[in-house]
Amino acid sequence: MEIAGEYVFHGPREEVWDLVRDPDVLSTALPGAQKLEKVSDQEYVGDMNIRVGPVSGLFSGKLLVSNEVPPESYTLTVDGKGGPGFVKGTGDVQLVDQGDGTTLMKYEGDMQIGGTLASVGQRMLDTVSRSLIRQGLETLDKALQERVAARSEGREAKVEAPTETEFAAAVAKDMAGEALSSRWLWIAVVVVIAIVRGAVILTSGRGG
Amino acid sequence: MTKKYLGQRITRNEDPRMLTGQALFVDDVEIPGMLHAAFLRSDYAHARILSIDVSAACNRPGVVAVYTAEDMGDFWKPGPLLVPAPRGIEGAFFHARTQIPMARDKVRHVGEPMAVVIGESRYLAEDALADIVVDLEPLEAVADLERALDPDAPLVHDDMESNLGSFVPQRKGDYEAAREQADLVIQRRIVIDRGAAAAMENRVLVAHWDAKSQEMTIWDTTQAPIPLRNGLAGMLGLAEHQVRVIAPFIGGAFGPKIMMFQPEEVLLPWATMKLNRPIKWIEDRRENFVATTQERGQIHDAESALTKDGHILGVKDVFLHDSGAYDPYGLTVPLNSQNHVMGCYDIPSYYSELKMVFTNKMIVTPVRGAGRPQGIFVIERLLDIAAKELDIDRAELRRRNNLQPDAFPHNHKIIDQAFAEFVIDSGNYPATLARALDMIEYEKFIKEEQPALRAEGRHVGIGVVAFIETTGVGPYEGARVTIEASGKVSVATGVGTQGQGHFTAFAQIVADQLGVDVRDVHVVTGDTAHFHWGTGTFASRGAVVAANAINAAAKGVRVKVLKLASKVLGAPEEELELADGMVRVADIPDQSIGLGELAVLANPMRGAVEPGSEPGLEATDYFGPQYGATANGTHAMILEVDVETMMVEIKRYVVVEDCGTIINPLILEGQVHGGVSLGIGNSYYEQLVYDDNGQLLNGSFMDYLIPRSTDMPPRIEIGHEVTPSPLNPLGTKGAGEAGAIPVPSLFAQAVEDALYDYDLEVLEMPLSPNRLFELCYQKGS
Repeated sequence: MEIAGEYVFHGPREEVWDLVRDPDVLSTALPGAQKLEKVSDQEYVGDMNIRVGPVSGLFSGKLLVSNEVPPESYTLTVDGKGGPGFVKGTGDVQLVDQGDGTTLMKYEGDMQIGGTLASVGQRMLDTVSRSLIRQGLETLDKALQERVAARSEGREAKVEAPTETEFAAAVAKDMAGEALSSRWLWIAVVVVIAIVRGAVILTSGRGG
Repeated sequence: MTKKYLGQRITRNEDPRMLTGQALFVDDVEIPGMLHAAFLRSDYAHARILSIDVSAACNRPGVVAVYTAEDMGDFWKPGPLLVPAPRGIEGAFFHARTQIPMARDKVRHVGEPMAVVIGESRYLAEDALADIVVDLEPLEAVADLERALDPDAPLVHDDMESNLGSFVPQRKGDYEAAREQADLVIQRRIVIDRGAAAAMENRVLVAHWDAKSQEMTIWDTTQAPIPLRNGLAGMLGLAEHQVRVIAPFIGGAFGPKIMMFQPEEVLLPWATMKLNRPIKWIEDRRENFVATTQERGQIHDAESALTKDGHILGVKDVFLHDSGAYDPYGLTVPLNSQNHVMGCYDIPSYYSELKMVFTNKMIVTPVRGAGRPQGIFVIERLLDIAAKELDIDRAELRRRNNLQPDAFPHNHKIIDQAFAEFVIDSGNYPATLARALDMIEYEKFIKEEQPALRAEGRHVGIGVVAFIETTGVGPYEGARVTIEASGKVSVATGVGTQGQGHFTAFAQIVADQLGVDVRDVHVVTGDTAHFHWGTGTFASRGAVVAANAINAAAKGVRVKVLKLASKVLGAPEEELELADGMVRVADIPDQSIGLGELAVLANPMRGAVEPGSEPGLEATDYFGPQYGATANGTHAMILEVDVETMMVEIKRYVVVEDCGTIINPLILEGQVHGGVSLGIGNSYYEQLVYDDNGQLLNGSFMDYLIPRSTDMPPRIEIGHEVTPSPLNPLGTKGAGEAGAIPVPSLFAQAVEDALYDYDLEVLEMPLSPNRLFELCYQKGS
């Protein structure tokens, strides 16, 4: 599966760079991330709950940063395994200073998906992954703006990660949006219900 | 003998039990203390196994045992080669690489088992799968057939030089010379993709070792209980009589259940002996998509040489056959393809190369049709293209090339799946074709209806294709028929039943021989404790091989009945008749004896059984045909395409089939309906999509589309031609697979005809609305 896109961050390039290289911030932006630990400057390990339609489960994996050219570009390698399958991919990320205080992030990569995640989740993979990326980047952008604002106000930045339910609800919304323009409406509706219900069970089960 | 039941539309003996929930399926088997198995399967299509740590899974409460290949010791062995390659074909080779019970060094397809958890419940066992830590080194996978033959392609089997598993060249006559003389040569590349058998019931197993009686009982959804019993006994070091395999009622099989010694089938019997407790495993649908067997993937480079008046001078076909990761079923599927390319036509020269290729995908073994649909698709497409090029009517072109009724036996002169020259025993192909054209009103449609519909802007097309099906191959089947003291008759045969109506069709044959009510004949199939000689249910052979064995055994009983009754009634045998459960003197109805009474006399409590005779009214007999009987048929359909959505509506569907003597038209038509629905699935709905890494992308019924009742034609109109086979006393030919075989080629032709203004040429199967749209618009309309 190919993944490519652009996103505009509302902040200077150096700030964006610091942000995307900070595991604490990053883990809040990864939907379903249970933990993300820094092994070295280039390597992180962590666990992440992934839910794609009827397929869900905990993935364990590592994140490798290479080809670093601060604050311009880096390469990200993901290697995760879990009950429902595996995810393996490499992507190039580029940060472009737009000169107006904003930073353009360009990313492109190739993901290999395997196991049940691929065989059963396939139909939803595209939408769900796009939705997760968009939400993750939006969360990062919020964190970025909070950092910038906090600095100018001389206070400490507060980063609040969205809950998994909020993530799931947003995925459902994105999928419903696609469904309205496709013939597979009924399937999508069922999936949306499953996701929302699953997410509620998941979070209430944890006492959240 | 009066034929009271043969050929009659008798409702099925088994239906009252089936419809009221009284039929035993494997999952109904419940034994106190029974454990449940769950398998850890590979998510990778190709990877090296570095280590498997099962310690956490073993410690989970409720888990009784966890096994990997390491635990199996000497029991770990690749499965047997179920079908060897034919010998004596010059230039041919075949490398056997059979499936293994659990992956040890590397995994070769997604779904291959790496460990099994046996626990107090399936729920617990599945949870424990998540506790197993497998360290795998992913390897580059090869999923594409052509890529697999690249010199730098990753090897599915490290000990081989390439992924080419087999090569079989076959020739009849001199194709190159025929090509020289031809007015027209057509060359096309034809691609056929994989589909699933998708039986309603997946594979299910219960294995129960009883240490006190030293007996193993295995309930299994297999199509071949007897060879399975014999093989498992050998593997487990038991005597064959210590192992009983029962294949009870089964919710469909369609081929994959003939694949024996699958990992689960080997592991459960082994584990029940270790644990001394019964174990059940039910294959779930996700497993069925990745861990059973599939069929159909082939790429053909086909060529035909014709005269300008449409006579075929020769056909050449070089094709790749996807075997998946292993080839336990030998060459049955691709040999069938190779054989069926000549179809029902008189083709003087033929050259074919079969190349079987290993890929990192699930194993390929026969699925209803078993290679024949591909062969038929190739020849029927070549004919359709020739018809257009030569401006000869499609039906007329077929008529000109059909083998004539006086051509039989006709030798196609190449080696078939039974390892003998492919000889067609009998048939009347022109009559079958003519009847189908008549039923669908071909001329009227082409000349009157279609022009009018086209004038309205509608896209309605007609198709007509012919096919053959090799059926009823040997080696043999057997049966035992017994008249019991109640006067009722019991029959036992070795073939298993997966919904074919054997309990009725077989009963009809026996009822006619013995003059009893068809409801008084009790048939047992697929239980090695009842009958333990035979091979299995495959190759459309039940009604040919097993039915003739049953007929022979019933005849044997009839002989005994007449002999004894003649003595008891004091009348010569010639004057006796068997009817209404009695033997009577033909002209003196009062002078009679019930079969039950006679059975008691044949098995006396005191006195003496005459030397040289046997007690009871029982006989066992066998039947093995000289070679397989070849059935044939013509299918025709009218369909409409909605050019905006590319959705297809089948308006009429006509089948004229010739499977020789018909035992029960009701059951036969049911077989045809089922076959056609599978064929429609193969044509427009069912496609297993793999990515380049060998990952199946549509492994659920959410994405893999099975045709629904609304996708079927409103009615399937069936006509029967009857050309009895001279190869067996009943004159039967098989019909189990026939319905599915010609449908993709028919669909292709009808769709092209419907979309006459799109310059469409269909050279692939399956299609889908999306794909049809692409084909129409990439060529430009």
